[in-house]
Amino acid sequence: MNLKISALEYVQEIQNGNISAEDYVAKTLERIQIIDDKLHAFLSVNEKAVEQAQQIDKKIKSGDEVGACFGMPISIKDNLCIKGSKTTCASKMLEDFVAPYDATVITKLKQQDAIFMGKVNMDEFAMGLTTEFSAFGPSSNPWNTDYVPGGSSGGSAVSVSAFECVASLGSDTGGSVRNPASFCSVVGYKPTYGLVSRYGLISYSNSIEQIGPLTRTVKDTAFMLNLISGFDSNDNTTINNQDQDYLSGIDSGIEGKKIGIIKEMLGDGTSAEVLSATKEAISRMESLGAICEEVSLDMVKYSVAAYYTITATEAGSNLARYDNLRYGYDFSVEGYEFNSYITKARQKFGPEVSRRIIIGGFVPSSGQAGKYFLKALKVKSKLTREISETFKKFDLLIAPTVPVLPFKKGEKIDDPVALFQVDINTVTANLTGRPSISVPFAMSNGLPIGMQLIADSNQDKLLLQAAHALEQTVTLPEIPI
Amino acid sequence: MVTSEEIERVSKLMKIDIHDHREYVDKVHAMIDFFDVLDSAGVDSEEISMQEISISNLRKDEHVPFDENLIKNLNHYKGTYVRAPKMSS
Repeated sequence: MNLKISALEYVQEIQNGNISAEDYVAKTLERIQIIDDKLHAFLSVNEKAVEQAQQIDKKIKSGDEVGACFGMPISIKDNLCIKGSKTTCASKMLEDFVAPYDATVITKLKQQDAIFMGKVNMDEFAMGLTTEFSAFGPSSNPWNTDYVPGGSSGGSAVSVSAFECVASLGSDTGGSVRNPASFCSVVGYKPTYGLVSRYGLISYSNSIEQIGPLTRTVKDTAFMLNLISGFDSNDNTTINNQDQDYLSGIDSGIEGKKIGIIKEMLGDGTSAEVLSATKEAISRMESLGAICEEVSLDMVKYSVAAYYTITATEAGSNLARYDNLRYGYDFSVEGYEFNSYITKARQKFGPEVSRRIIIGGFVPSSGQAGKYFLKALKVKSKLTREISETFKKFDLLIAPTVPVLPFKKGEKIDDPVALFQVDINTVTANLTGRPSISVPFAMSNGLPIGMQLIADSNQDKLLLQAAHALEQTVTLPEIPI
Repeated sequence: MVTSEEIERVSKLMKIDIHDHREYVDKVHAMIDFFDVLDSAGVDSEEISMQEISISNLRKDEHVPFDENLIKNLNHYKGTYVRAPKMSS
């Protein structure tokens, strides 16, 4: 049984009768049991997965209508609600929280007969970019287990990369899908803001976060996007994409497309290996007929500070609900005064979440808002204007997904500002609502480098076509695990 | 420049106990100091653009009954209310 096949190959193999969903899911479960001790991608595993696969095989055999996933094993980031399953957000605060309803993306995938292999690790409440802030311990990069897998959707990227599932769903607030995708050599997608419903995603920073797929190929991402996108009455920020088919015409190529190389995303902080890979990617895009030119987005320099100011503010508000009265855990009220009870209950937040809540109280507060929060909103507005102007001249933008190679566990965890800088190339797409993708592009010293493409809002189809074209120029080694 | 006292005050308001004082104050300090770069962005005259969201597509405002078992599982559920800690007098 080959667990290394893509999602589309899986569908093909099932349709041809070469494999059964039961066998494939059972083998996947076996692999999780064998290698996940080393990787710690999963926080919980669906014990009923094989049983569910048997049901799908029955439907196939009896000629009933079967959903597009045909029992495909998918992992789900642990901030997405699956009814009846634990949804911990990798936090002690929600350690025993069982979701009472399905997120819209989960409903959609269930309707398409996907099988959820389990919930995967992340930085607590999606705040981080290494999974080291998970309250249940970090995940490891399958390419070298001493290294971080990126984050916050680290478990998603690890599980796809190490063949513990065929595809995964993560969430991307400032690069949390694309960063781990880059570090683990898988495809990671941040859709146009509003393309995918956030209903059932535990909120961190509503105004910029999006759910996105992590897959082995760009075509698989298009396949997943077809299943999860579209208007949802439970999320009034969603847009009607008129059931666009992102997979059709994905081979269209990029001949004649104008691609802007973002100057500020190739600055001093970019490592020599990443810089060299980026030059190679540009050269390959040109050989495919694209016209590449340098472009400047002045506000990128301030984007990380604006991003953290805005997200901390929204997090401070969103996480107020964890007061053990609305959300929380079993903890007796006896003997406590109201405020001290809530403060005591909130000690279950980990240190990074606590720090961001404090910042989220400080930066929008009276007397400080003008210096921090309002200025951050102004940077966001100006950056959005700059990128809108840029897309009048260019079809796409290119930059490395992350300016540095994956780093060792523990290397940056005590330096919050050093961690901030790792986000410099990814936050722009979130702040401006643009779609963005990370494509596995190169390896350096056994560690992956991903290349990022950004398109204008609602140009997701064009973005996937370009990413597919770039992907076709790349041959990467097999994962050593 | 933010002061340690300001951080402690905000922590209290946000109901975050900074028992491990340095772990919080030093790092929050570093993070907020980093935000000072916003002063150089030259955006004082910039208008804040707001994203308009249509309210014509809102779901129907109607009561949807939920699984009763959720309430029964609560430890502090008394009759028709959830028991909270007493307010200070």
